[in-house]
This record gives sequence, C-alpha cells and structure tokens, in this order.
Amino acid sequence: MKHCLSRRAFLRSVGAAACGAAAMAGCAGKEPGPGGWRMKARPHPDADAWKARIGLARGAADPAAAVRTAIEKLCDPEGVRTFVREGDLVTIKPNIGWSHVPEMGATVHPDIVAEVVRLCLEAGAREVKVFDNSVGTDSKCYEFSGIETAARRAGARVSLCARHRFRTVSFDDPRVKRLKQWPIYEDALSADVFINIAVAKVHNLSYVTLCMKNLMGTQGGDRGKMHQEIHQNLADLNVVVHPTFNILDATRVMITNGPGGGRAEYVVRADTVVCGTSAVTVDAWGADPANLPWPKGHHDLAAVEHIALGAAAGLGVADPGQIEVSA
Amino acid sequence: MARPTQPRHPLHVLRVIAQLAFFGLFAGLVILTARGTFVAAHPYLAQLFFISDPLILVGALLAGGFTASLLAALVVVALSLVAPRAYCGWICPLGTIQDIVDKILFRRRNRSKNMAPRLRQIKYGLLVLVLVPAIFGLGVFGWFDPVCIATRSFGVAVYPMADHAARTALIAAEERGVPGAAGAYDWARRHHLLTQEADLKEGSQWAGYRWAWAFFALLAAIVLVQAYQKRFWCRNLCPLGALLGLLGSVSPFRPRVSEKCTKCDRCRERCKMGAFEPAPGGEKYRVVVQECILCYACERAFCPASAIHVGLGRPGSVRPVPHVLPSRRAFLGTALTGAVLGPAFLLDQRSRAKEESNPMLRPPGALRPDPEFLATCIRCGECMRVCPTNALHPSGIEDGIAGLWTPTFVYNIGYCDYFCAVRKEDQERGGAAERAANLCATVCPTGAIRILTQAEKEEWKIGTAVLDKSRCLPWARGESCLTCEEQCPVPEKAISHRTVEVANNEWLKMPQDRRHRYEELEARRDREGLTVVEEAELDAMPPKMQPLTLPYVLRERCTGCGVCENVCPVDGPSGIRVGRLQTQEIRQD
Repeated sequence: MKHCLSRRAFLRSVGAAACGAAAMAGCAGKEPGPGGWRMKARPHPDADAWKARIGLARGAADPAAAVRTAIEKLCDPEGVRTFVREGDLVTIKPNIGWSHVPEMGATVHPDIVAEVVRLCLEAGAREVKVFDNSVGTDSKCYEFSGIETAARRAGARVSLCARHRFRTVSFDDPRVKRLKQWPIYEDALSADVFINIAVAKVHNLSYVTLCMKNLMGTQGGDRGKMHQEIHQNLADLNVVVHPTFNILDATRVMITNGPGGGRAEYVVRADTVVCGTSAVTVDAWGADPANLPWPKGHHDLAAVEHIALGAAAGLGVADPGQIEVSA
Repeated sequence: MARPTQPRHPLHVLRVIAQLAFFGLFAGLVILTARGTFVAAHPYLAQLFFISDPLILVGALLAGGFTASLLAALVVVALSLVAPRAYCGWICPLGTIQDIVDKILFRRRNRSKNMAPRLRQIKYGLLVLVLVPAIFGLGVFGWFDPVCIATRSFGVAVYPMADHAARTALIAAEERGVPGAAGAYDWARRHHLLTQEADLKEGSQWAGYRWAWAFFALLAAIVLVQAYQKRFWCRNLCPLGALLGLLGSVSPFRPRVSEKCTKCDRCRERCKMGAFEPAPGGEKYRVVVQECILCYACERAFCPASAIHVGLGRPGSVRPVPHVLPSRRAFLGTALTGAVLGPAFLLDQRSRAKEESNPMLRPPGALRPDPEFLATCIRCGECMRVCPTNALHPSGIEDGIAGLWTPTFVYNIGYCDYFCAVRKEDQERGGAAERAANLCATVCPTGAIRILTQAEKEEWKIGTAVLDKSRCLPWARGESCLTCEEQCPVPEKAISHRTVEVANNEWLKMPQDRRHRYEELEARRDREGLTVVEEAELDAMPPKMQPLTLPYVLRERCTGCGVCENVCPVDGPSGIRVGRLQTQEIRQD
C-alpha cells in the first residue's frame, strides 16, 4: 500500500484544487454591465449637428493621403482628436471579408487602415484593435487583404475573432423592428471609440454594400439569417451597433459580381474616400449613382431601402440634397 | 520490483531516448499538419511515418497506390533485415505509446502467467487477411496498419480532445479576467497550436471529427489490453510487426542465449514481447527472433546469469521455430478468407453500380472512379487533419464497408476552400501557381488524392450544388435570401438569380375577407378609380405582389465546394446541397 495515495494526501490535494478553483472564481470576471452587454462607444459630442456632415477626398491616388484629407476636411481643425481622446481604447472594423488581395477591391485598402491606426495612436489612443468576422476563411482574409500586416506594423493589435468573445446583445431599442438579439463581437462593444471602415461594392441582395452593411462583420451567429428582409435587419443592426466614426473606402469600386468578386476587372478606380459620424449619411452619399461609378441602371438611391430605413430611425440623412459635404 | 541486476545497457538507454524522440517527432507532425504552410513546404516530412512504412509499400504495390516516395520504406526493410523488428522497439509511435501507458498504469502488474504463445500467430493471419483484398482493389490494410492507427487516433481523436480541453481552460481563465489568458489563447491559435477557430464556420468551434470516438476507443483498447500482456497489439495482432518479423528471420543480429543459462525463467516472464521460451532439448532458453524488438532490456536487466547476449552471429534459419508461424493449412485458410472477403466487401459498394448516385463527396483530386480511390486510399486520416476548414471527415459505411473511414466532405461543418493552398503572392502575380493547390493531396502518402494546381482545382468538380426547392427560403417560403450566391467563391458565380413577381407574404397573412376587399378595390381602381378614402384603405394594406429573387445553380460553373451548403441559413438540412451529380462533366465556359 506504500505507493497508494494516503487519505491525508488525497484530501490535501483536493483542498488545494478547491482553493485554486475558488481563487479563479473570485477573479473579476467579464460581466456585462447592468442591462446586459451594450455598445460602449461614445457618440460624437455634437452628434445631432454632425449627422448630416461628411468629409470627402477626391482624386488622391494615395489611399492613405486620401483618408487623411477626408478626415481633415470634416474634422477641421482637430482631426481625429475630435473623437479620440487621450487613453482611449479604439477598435477599428475594416472590411476584411474575403481572401483577396487589395487589387480585387473586395476588402478595404490596407494603407487606409494603417493610416487610421496611426492617426488614432498619434491622438493618444491607449490601444488600437482591428478585427473583422470574415466571410471567407478568416486567416486567409487577414493575410491576403494585407490588412493584418499593415495594421500591425502601424501599431494595432490585430486578432482573429474567437467564438466565445461574441456577446449576446439584446436589440431592445424601440426603433428596432425585426431583430431580437444577436451576438456582437466584444472588441466592438468594449471600445471607447469604434471606427467602421467599409469598401464600396455592389451586392447581390442589398444593391450596394457600404458602411451600414459593413457592420455585419461585428456579428457572430448565423448571419445568413440577416438576409431575409435584409434592409430592415441592417437598419436594426445600425440602431444598436453605432460606430463613433465611419469611413468609406471608394478608392476602387467593385461594379459587378459583388460582394465577393475575385477578379481585378470587376473593379474600377474612383480615388474617393468619404467619412462621417453617421453610417447612413455616408452611405446615402456613396450609394448615389451621381457620386460613385456604379454601373448604369444598377440601382437608384431609393432602391437601397436600408439607407432610408436608417434615416427613418434617426441615424442619419438619406437625402443627398441635405448632406453637408466638406471637400 | 523490476530492479535491474546490472546498470542498463547503453543501447537500452539509447532505445528509450530514440523512442521518445520519434514519438515527439510524430506528435509534432500531428500538430504541424494543421498548418498549411508547413505541409506545403515539407510534404515528405509531413508524410514521414507513412512513406517509411513497409506494410503501406507492399499494400500499395498490390492495390495500385504506389508512389515513388513510398520507396523510403526500403530503409526500414533494410533495417529489418539486419535488426529484426527494431522498428517496433525503437521507432513505431504506436509501440511507444503502449510502453508509456504500461509504465504508468501497469508497472507493478504481474503478467507472467499470461503467455498464450499461440495468440502470436494471429498477426500473420491478419497480415494475409489485409493484403489479399488489396489484390482485389481494397486498401483496407490501413485499418490495421500501426502508423495509420496512430495517426487516426492522435490526429483525429486525441489531438482534438486535448485541443478542446486546453481551449476550455484558457477561455475559462480569460472569462475570469486572468491576465495574459486572452493573449495566450490568441498566440496559440495564431501558431496553430490550438485550432484556428476563426477559420471554422458555424458548424464547429474546434476541429472535431466524425468517428473520433471509434479511433479513441481503438487506441484505448490497444494500450489497455496490456493489462493482460505487455505490447499485446505488437505481439499478437500487428500486421506490420508480422511483416518485419518475417524479414528479420534471416538476420544474423539477434539476442542469443549461451550455455550459462540457468533456466530461471526470468527472461520469459519479463520480456515485453514474450520472445523467450524454453528450447525443446530442455538445456536452455532460446529467442524467437520474429518476436524480438531489440529493446535491449534482456541482456543486463533480466538475466542474472549474464547468459543473454545481443549481437552478430550465424544468420538465423529461415524456418522459424514451431508455433510461431501459423500452419500451412491455417495460412491457406486465411488467404482464402481474404480472397472471399475482398470481393465481398466490394460487392457491398454501391459506387460500382452508378458513379453519380455515390453519396461520397471526395476531396478534390481524389482518384476516379471511386473504386480506384478505395483501392489506393489507406484511410490514414492525414487529409482530414490538414483540411483547413475541418470539412473532411471519415465516412461511415454509407458507401459499403469498403468505404469505412475514407475521407468525405461534411459541408454543414466546413467547405472545400477555394484558396486552400493559394498564397498571397500567387494572387498578387495575378495567376495560379504551378504548386499544389489542394493540401489534402500534399499529405496523401499513396497518391489517392492527386495533386492539382490552382487552375486544375478550379476546374475540378467535387460534385454539383442542387437547390432543394422545398427548403430554399425564396422557393419554399417566398422570403428573400441569396446568401448562397453572395458567398459562392467562383468569381463569376455559379449561383445566380432571377427576379419574379410573387404574392407578398404579408398580403397572404391577411384574413380572407381583407384579401377579397383588396382585390375588389384594386379591380375597381383599374376600372373606374377610387375615392380618396378607398385609396387610403388600399394603401394601408400590404401590396399583393412583390418582387422575389429566386436562386438557381449554373451547374457548369459549380465546383461542388460546398460553401453554399455551409452558409445556407435554413435550419436543419440546407436548402442547397452538394450531390455527386455530373462529376464527369467538363466545364464549358
């Protein structure tokens, strides 16, 4: 019996294990705030006045310069300091949805993401995180799009989504019509400043995919279920997941076989970057066939219902005539 | 109790080190095989244990899955001719895991009464039984090959279990705010030490496989049956051990018992292979060379009289001692059984009747027609391990017993990645590279999955997506969807849609009298116009008709990759599923 565990030794190890478990349980766990998980990002201090404004950079061949210009135009004179404060946690959600290189125009240009990361860090952000819940095989999307490398080099923390970090958010805002609840990625919820960067593409169901649709990358769960009455669902999503700032990368526009694409000839150059505090307003400008080279007869602005529904929920301006463009 | 009478033989120590090193290499390869870049860069290293396995070489020669890399097994053949079954004692990962478990669980167990020497004949029977069907085109020797067993068990069952356990612990720590836990989890995922779960879609959160329970049970049985005999599998069942033992029969290098033997019986009791037995004359013990795995424990650890010496000497007789090999009658009987079972298994296989009705969706590049694949595939599970989306799984007997554990796609878990082995620079150059585009083929040791370039892979039809109009949301319920078209990875899209006018669901939900009222108002509006009040009443009701986009499959573009089936939001079986239709068709555009 000499080799057997004595009763005393057994009890001792059980006790130690119990203490360890208790210590772990005692650690400050990740708990949602009162009322469950909520979006923490600060809105713009003067959100209502800013709702109708967009910043526009046209004609710059360098995407980084273009995004800088667009932000400077809109946020004169403070730049990103208008919404990023010293010590903020900033999360950026670019479109990293597809395993294609930047030339295919399926994902945001890496230089734009890197530039925004840099600007936020210069403005004193404590940390900048970058993520997207990709459509394609995620690690390939991160790599091929060039965003992982570029953002990391610029100083951001880039990580692939982990299933357990999606937190169920209840969509209990009275403006929400269809969605009840949805898992939303923690990095989007916990940031002080949440920046949404979309790429301009045609979409087989929602006509175009711009800033409003780009927020689907914060969602976990079965996103195919967003596709029934997609316009209302997108408006609902935008009510609950509200970015501090939105940027639309239209340096190139995918004009056919979107949103996946996969050939360089599906893409035309437009050398345009738009930004604003309201995704709806940025999208209203971007979806307007007068502003971007959408194929002739592909859609008119009224057909892109989610923009109008978003505006009806008070998120922005759907009428291009009412948008104040700083260019 | 097992105190050595003398210090251990240096080669005994070296053997233990070699075992641990080879097992470490094996385990490392199991983990690294999940990393596409490693596999693509070092295909032969990834296949190392398979291409050095003589049973796979012989089986492949018989069944038709021969590839030049399998000639690496000749090294082990040569080794076995001079050092009988040293492979089993020093290299084989399945042998090492048995030794490890034995040391942990059974080291004090007295098994000296459980000799049962006749059981040892079974392995020769099994060798014949698995190789004879190979002649008939069945690569089922992989069911019993120790390297295949170890790879399946560790890659498809043990690793996913350990992965899940580690993952659960790290997540629990992270959720409790333990500093560094989240970072450690991300780091491990990024380096593929844990499953890169982001690459797995809704079907699974960590790599898990069908039949994993069976592979784990088989491994557990093999290590636990040692409660009866040490290395029970190696002694009695292993067909590779049988083959190597036969090769080693002629070896001049072996343990020999000298005249100093006192017949104390310790060697017989302690040898983990039961390789010692009293010689017929009764004056001393002798070694059954077909059983010895050259572990070097006997020379110093067992024999108090120092009567055992491992070394060179007169080459052994090709005729082994009695009771080692089965009798000629038993041998012929087994061969005959194999000759009956081989064709019998194939009779059971539906694919021989009609290729298109075969339910198995094989990896891209898999040999066609399916019987050729069944002959060549050794059911090792490497392709399942490397598949980046966890889409390949061992099949059951849907396609007959002959198809058991061959790879098949399970599209509600993963899909065949359009860019499986594509690198960023390939896309940047704007063209497909000449290198292997299907990782499953890169690790396949027998060429059952042919290597395809990206251009070939884009042309390869695994199957064809078929819409199930009774489940597809637009077709069955009049709801818009098109998730399948959105995510179809073929650039020009193998799924398209047409827009039709259909009755609006909201309108249909109105009570019948309201619907009649609507139709009445509408008809009157067209005939004579409505009053303002009636106009408002009509406007308040949902419109009767709505445009609806109905998806359809352009089958000549479809590769059968399964993305559509994977992402379809229909609960239960998807509204679009890949079947093995028109696999022989050539793409036209």
